[in-house]
Amino acid sequence: MNRIEIVDGAGFSCAEGDTLLRAGLRAGLGLPYECNAGGCGTCKVELIEGAVESRWPEAPGLSDRDRRKGRVLACQSLPTGDCRLRLRLDPACIPEIRPERRKARLTGMADITRDIREFRFAAEGPARFRPGQYAMLSLPDGTERAYSLSNIANADGASHFQIRRVPDGRMTERLFDAAPTEIMLDGPYGLAHLQPGARDVVCIAGGSGLAPMVSIARGIAADPADARRVHFFHGGRTSADLPGEGWARTLTGLGDRLAYHAAVSDESVPGLAQGFVHEVLAAWMGDRFDNYDYYCAGPPPMIQALETLLVATKGLPAGRVRFDRFF
Amino acid sequence: MSDGGVIASETLLCAQSDVPEGGAVKIELAGRPPLAIFNIKGTFFVTDDTCTHGEASLSEGEIDTDECVVECPWHSGAFELSTGKPCGAPCTIALRIHRFALHDGGIYLLD
Ligand SMILES: Cc1cc2nc3c(=O)[nH]c(=O)nc-3n(C[C@H](O)[C@H](O)[C@H](O)COP(=O)(O)OP(=O)(O)OC[C@H]3O[C@@H](n4cnc5c(N)ncnc54)[C@H](O)[C@@H]3O)c2cc1C
Ligand code: FES
Ligand code: FES
Repeated sequence: MNRIEIVDGAGFSCAEGDTLLRAGLRAGLGLPYECNAGGCGTCKVELIEGAVESRWPEAPGLSDRDRRKGRVLACQSLPTGDCRLRLRLDPACIPEIRPERRKARLTGMADITRDIREFRFAAEGPARFRPGQYAMLSLPDGTERAYSLSNIANADGASHFQIRRVPDGRMTERLFDAAPTEIMLDGPYGLAHLQPGARDVVCIAGGSGLAPMVSIARGIAADPADARRVHFFHGGRTSADLPGEGWARTLTGLGDRLAYHAAVSDESVPGLAQGFVHEVLAAWMGDRFDNYDYYCAGPPPMIQALETLLVATKGLPAGRVRFDRFF
Repeated sequence: MSDGGVIASETLLCAQSDVPEGGAVKIELAGRPPLAIFNIKGTFFVTDDTCTHGEASLSEGEIDTDECVVECPWHSGAFELSTGKPCGAPCTIALRIHRFALHDGGIYLLD
C-alpha cells in the first residue's frame, strides 16, 4: 500500500497493482479523467515526489512536452512508493458509485452485427452503475481494455457488453476466438452517463459506440418517471453494421418512444440516409438543435465532428452534450 | 495581423505595457466571452481566454515562449497561439483567435 498526497489537497492509499487514477477514485476523490485508457490526456498529473511505473509509456494522451515537464498519466501510472502529485481536482469526477474490482463469469454471447457481439457476464452481488458508464475488462494474461455496459444496473450482478471485433486487436481477437469463462471486471467509470432532463434525448452511436447508447435508452425506458422520447442515430459503413429499428426498439424497451435513424457512409441503400452520422443528424435536425439533450459514443474522429457541430457551431452548452470517446 | 490600420470598430483592450513579456492578461468586455492577450518576446496574440475543453482560464496557464504555445492550467491541454490549433491532449477544438491592431501604445480589438 503506497500513500499518495495531493499538493494542497487530500491524500489516499494506492493498493499494489492499482493505478493512481483508480485508487484516487476508489477513495472518492474527483481525480480528472475520461477514458482510463491512455488516450484522452485528461488525467495528466505532475509528479512532484516519488516514482511511478507506466503501464503504457508511449500512450498518446501524453505529449513530448508533457514528458519533458514531468507529467504522467494517472490512468497508466503504478506508484513504486509514496508519491506527491500536483493536480486540480474536479468535483464532476467524484464517483457517485465507487469503482470496484471483481471476478465475473461468462454467461452468454450473441452476435448483433457481422462484427459486434454481445458478451454477458455475471458477478457476485448487485451490478451498480449508471446508464452509459463503462468498466475495465481484463483477461487472465493481464490484457485490459475499457468497454461500455449495454444493460442497466441490476440486482443479479449482470454486466452486458457489445464489443466490436478489431482485426488483429489484442483484446478483441482473444475475446472473439476463445472467450475466457472468467474475467476481471473493474468499474464503473465514466462521466458520459444519463442525466435527468426535460428535453427529449438524442443518442448518437457510431461504429462500436452502440453499447452506452443502448444503456442510456434502456435507462430512460426503465424509469417510470421519465417520459422522454429518444432519437437514436446509428452510423455504420454499410447496412450490415446496423442491426435496425426493430432490434433497437425491442432491446431498449422504449417501443414507439424510440425513433431509429440509420446512417451509412460507404454504401447507397434505398431508404437509408447516406453520409457520416453527424451529417445525417444535421440534415434531419434543421434548426431544432436546441430542443434536445445529446449523448454521443464512438471513435474519436466521429466525436470530434459531433463536438464541432454541436458545441462549437450550434453553441449548445457543454453540459447538454455528453461525449464518450472510444480510444 | 497587427497592421496598425485604423478601423472604425476597434475597441481598446489594454496598454501594450500591461502585458509582460512571456506573460498574459485576461480582459473582460461586456457581452462577449473573456479574452486573453499574450506577449511572446514582444509579439502579441489575442485569443479567447476560456479553454475549449473546460472552464479554465488560459491567461493563468503556462506559456512556452519558444514554441509559442499556451498550456491550460487544468488538464495541461495546449494550443498554438498563432493559429489557435490544439496541440496537446485533451484539447481537440481550436481556440478562437482575434484580430487586433497596435497603435499609440495600446492593443485594439478589431472584431
Ligand atoms: C471509455 C471507452 C469505452 C469503450 N467501449 C467500447 C465498447 O462498448 N465496445 C467496443 O467494441 N469498444 C469499446 N471501446 C474500445 C476498446 O476499449 C478497445 O480499444 C477495442 O476493443 C480494441 O481493443 P483491441 O485490444 O482488440 O485492439 P488493439 O488495436 O490491440 O488496441 C486498441 C486500443 O488499446 C489501447 N492500447 C494499445 N496498447 C496498449 C497498451 N500497451 N496498454 C494499454 N492500452 C493499450 C489503445 O487505446 C488502442 O487504441 C471503448 C474504449 C473506451 C476508452
Ligand atoms: S483518463 Fe488517462 S488518458 Fe484518458
Ligand atoms: S480545461 Fe483546458 S485542458 Fe481541460
